[in-house]
Amino acid sequence: MGTENQNYPNFPARPPPPSTSSSSPFASAPPPGVPPQSSGPQTVGFRPLSSQPTRPFTPSGPPMAPPVGAMRPMVSQIPGSRPPPPAYGGGPPGGVGGSFQRFPTPPPFPGSQNPPPSGPPPPTQTLAGHLSPPMSLRPQQPMGPPGGYVSPPGSGFQQSVPPVNPSYSGVGSGPPQPSFPGYPSNQGFQSASQGPVSSYPPQTGGFSQHPGQQNLHPGYAPPTTSSIQGLAEDFNSLSLSNIPGSLEPGLDPSSFPRPLDGDVEPKSFAEMYPMNCDSRYLRLTTSAIPNSQSLASRWHLPLGAVVCPLAEAPEGEEVPLVDFGSTGIIRCRRCRTYINPYVTFTDSGRKWRCNICAMLNDVPGEYFSHLDATGRRMDMDQRPELTKGSVEIIAPTEYMVRPPMPPTYFFLIDVSFSATKSGMLEVAAQTIKSCLDNLPGYPRTQIGFITYDSTIHFYNLKSSLSQPQMMVVSDLDDIYIPLPDDLLVNLSESRNVVEAFLDSLPLMFQDNGNVESAFGPALKAAYMIMNQLGGKLLILQNSLPSLGAGRLKLRGDDPRVYGTDKEYVLRVAEDNFYKQMAADCTKFQIGINVYAFSDKYTDIASLGTLAKYTGGQVYYYPGFQSSIQGDKLRHELARDLTRETAWESVMRIRCGKGIRCSSYHGNFMLRSTDLLALPAVDCDKAYAMQLALEETLLTTPTVYFQVALLYTASCGERRIRVHTAIAPVVTDLGEMYRQADTGSIVSVYARLAIEKTLSAKLDDARNAIQQKIVKALREYRNLHSVQHRLGSRLIYPESLKFLPLYGLAMCKSTPLHGGPADASLDERCGAGFTMMALPVKKLLKLLYPSLHRVDEWLLKPSVDHDDLKDVLRRLPLAAESLDSRGLYIYDDGFRLVLWFGRMLSPDIAKNLLGADFAAELSRVTLEEQENGMSKKLMRLIKKVRENDPSYHPMCFLVRQGEQPREGFLLLRNLIEDQMGGSTGYVDWMLQIHRQVQQNA
Amino acid sequence: MGDLLDWIISFLFLVTLLIIVIYQLTCLADLEADHINPYDSSTKINRVILPEFGLQGLLCVYYVLTGHWFMAILSLPHLFYNIRLYMKKEYLADVTEMHNTNKGEQKKRLYKIGHIALCTIITSYWLIHSALGDI
Repeated sequence: MGTENQNYPNFPARPPPPSTSSSSPFASAPPPGVPPQSSGPQTVGFRPLSSQPTRPFTPSGPPMAPPVGAMRPMVSQIPGSRPPPPAYGGGPPGGVGGSFQRFPTPPPFPGSQNPPPSGPPPPTQTLAGHLSPPMSLRPQQPMGPPGGYVSPPGSGFQQSVPPVNPSYSGVGSGPPQPSFPGYPSNQGFQSASQGPVSSYPPQTGGFSQHPGQQNLHPGYAPPTTSSIQGLAEDFNSLSLSNIPGSLEPGLDPSSFPRPLDGDVEPKSFAEMYPMNCDSRYLRLTTSAIPNSQSLASRWHLPLGAVVCPLAEAPEGEEVPLVDFGSTGIIRCRRCRTYINPYVTFTDSGRKWRCNICAMLNDVPGEYFSHLDATGRRMDMDQRPELTKGSVEIIAPTEYMVRPPMPPTYFFLIDVSFSATKSGMLEVAAQTIKSCLDNLPGYPRTQIGFITYDSTIHFYNLKSSLSQPQMMVVSDLDDIYIPLPDDLLVNLSESRNVVEAFLDSLPLMFQDNGNVESAFGPALKAAYMIMNQLGGKLLILQNSLPSLGAGRLKLRGDDPRVYGTDKEYVLRVAEDNFYKQMAADCTKFQIGINVYAFSDKYTDIASLGTLAKYTGGQVYYYPGFQSSIQGDKLRHELARDLTRETAWESVMRIRCGKGIRCSSYHGNFMLRSTDLLALPAVDCDKAYAMQLALEETLLTTPTVYFQVALLYTASCGERRIRVHTAIAPVVTDLGEMYRQADTGSIVSVYARLAIEKTLSAKLDDARNAIQQKIVKALREYRNLHSVQHRLGSRLIYPESLKFLPLYGLAMCKSTPLHGGPADASLDERCGAGFTMMALPVKKLLKLLYPSLHRVDEWLLKPSVDHDDLKDVLRRLPLAAESLDSRGLYIYDDGFRLVLWFGRMLSPDIAKNLLGADFAAELSRVTLEEQENGMSKKLMRLIKKVRENDPSYHPMCFLVRQGEQPREGFLLLRNLIEDQMGGSTGYVDWMLQIHRQVQQNA
Repeated sequence: MGDLLDWIISFLFLVTLLIIVIYQLTCLADLEADHINPYDSSTKINRVILPEFGLQGLLCVYYVLTGHWFMAILSLPHLFYNIRLYMKKEYLADVTEMHNTNKGEQKKRLYKIGHIALCTIITSYWLIHSALGDI
């Protein structure tokens, strides 16, 4: 409540500004306005705590925000608010939250209340919503009404009625304010005009927008107004012709929404509940949870969340560490929820009520603190667990089944002919050696190696030796370990031996002509060595496993299988050995990362299974050559070895009463119905889950989610990372759409689609994506078609404006696109495994990569202005964006492509490429030249790479018209274009639109 | 007399089958209720799957050998189903996906139980019939 009070002062302040004559009448009677204000916060049905809701408003404090643009930010913060409308023509600018508007309104219109005249009789509560809209539609003067009008979104807002009347009457009282009857009022106009006129701009725009509501009655709208203007624009729309294939003259692809600003997280959620954990840790697909199963079933998009428990926090926002010491960790006795900011203390601080199951728990003596007058604990500020949504708790011995394990790295390295020839062995050995200093967990870190070709080589790294001893086992059917100890050793003790080993490793096998690979037996051996400790197993595999258990066949890319029902079989593990090994490894806390290098078929589908079920990841370097991909391997292997890792962890997500996680998607193994076993986790892994309602009706106003990751830190401490979030429960489908988070939805969809390719045809997976989007948009259309004449326009909520495009991008992503000829099976599977683990932002970047034109920037005199975003504009991913006189850089987070236009000035090419500039670019590598332009470009590339260290984007050069490289590297990735048999953006939208209308 | 013996033997076959499948079902149900972890559950189930398949195959052969054509034909779908699973190498419980496939697996086993129960009822009818007929 305290915050609320702070807000109040703001409002009084606002009235003074009104400069226009229209405002003056209202100024006289400010008091009436007050009641609505107070009611405001409570009216918002879904807000749980009165104190929280107020926060969002504070930003609105500055009363003057005339420019429409300024309003937008606010919009997003307000819970009830509608997102800013699209860029399309008649659209109103930004919508403002209902609650928001309320405040301002009262002051201006109080006067109007007294003269009830023109307005219809005070509407009843329920009417309020309905009546108000007409007003807005009316040609009235933009000003007054908008402000006054509170259009309460959703049913929750009914209480707000009082404000309505005033506004209403205000409208009626038109006389003071000249009304322009004929004028189709559209919000855009209102808000714009308003700005200057009154001091309450923010409210104006918002008001009409209330989406959820049915504010608009077509009947009221002046017949002359076009449908666009007649709408209270709570949604965006695109005019699309409904004639298949033909584009209406007015159809302008450039007006289609594109995520050129990258991923925009919904801010409203975070600001409404400042105690929630940051969205980098937990993102719900919609921050408004449906209150009933029937409502949930109308929400055709996934209801779920994406969790990235260890996401990297920017400087200064690290997760605080809490030590409960002898008190023990405070958890709910019944549901085992960890104490969090949303628990309430009662009985003068002696009890606390669990926010998830409502159980009343005792507060331990040591943890007791008195409450102040408002029921807050006095020591609140010293307790991060009561103020922060994310905390890390030090776990006592009850949380250990064994002493915390040391960080353990075990390498399983293929040393067959191709491994040495490609230079992989050398690069890997160098990289590992250079990382020895930075491995986490010094001095407890353990390390060990096995190499294999047709036999298995063990290395005794005992610290007393000066040189490692190699032992060869050639009996593949009955693997045994030649030494009980010393194969896995403490790094700090055996440092010299390990270094000697890594130095000699490339030399030892440089003449190895063996092409066989006893991968399965070697894996078993590694498992036998590691299963005492657990840890991370890095597999560097260069060829198809050909000997012993787990040998694989060249089932390869048989084009005849594609399009048949057997197609999916190629994408799942062939031999049960791999699943069984993965399960066993997880059981013993071994996490596996697979690095695959072959240019031939290596059955990533089978090898990747190892990573999938042990919480690892797959790195795939097709046709590895150390001269080309060496840097990439070096960076990514180093990152894998040195990033902060959580060991032997388990994760559980607790949801409030009536809701549960129904399925999980990502790289992990389910140990019990809701417990994810993650032998090794790090900041680059995210997990998706879907939620289901267990009860037909949720009665609570909010739902809580708590993610708890119990893990062993590299330093040897057992810790629990707890992320808590709250989300409102709503009764209104419109509100769910408003609060939707495209990034999270896309992330869940992508995982579902990839999983679908493991049991169905690619085509089916792609169709499923399209169908889901169509269903969602159709439902949305139905929601609005009653009140609006939508004509042939495609409508979609602001929050989901990019969804169709991302859907298209998913269909064109490596795991899903095309047929057998478009990507090799290994590439598909490798990309699939990678995408299953990607955090939201990274995935969106991969789906809709950025394209920048850089030649002009390079020519500009050097400005030390390095920020990519400020300097370079992202371009739509379409061939029209490419100008043959330009130089473009394409970045999807995994690779960079530099595209040289055919007519690019030779100077630039020469400056960048040196003497090679005329050569075929596939043979040229980009190196820094001795000139400013080249340095500038290299700086840019370095910056791009540093921005996201999780993968190292390799730089490819390609010249316009250089086939087939151009098509493969760039053109195919211009997802808005029609390529081969795939649809372009325009056609895709038309298809979706047609299907939406078909059964509408 | 020989007929009675046939029925008794096939009845024993069926009851054993029924017990095995119900045992698998309980393992799955336990898993769903979190009384058991997927490792133990899959080990327990996989241990009895091949005996189950073998027993079912033997039963079919037995019906044929003893000339009970109707019962043999009745058991055939079950046999074909088992053989198909075996050929596709999908007969063993997949420890990594136990939780996700649990619902479907339980359903499959319920159908199996239904089928075996049907056979058991018919068999017991003939068993009683031939026992009484002998008297």
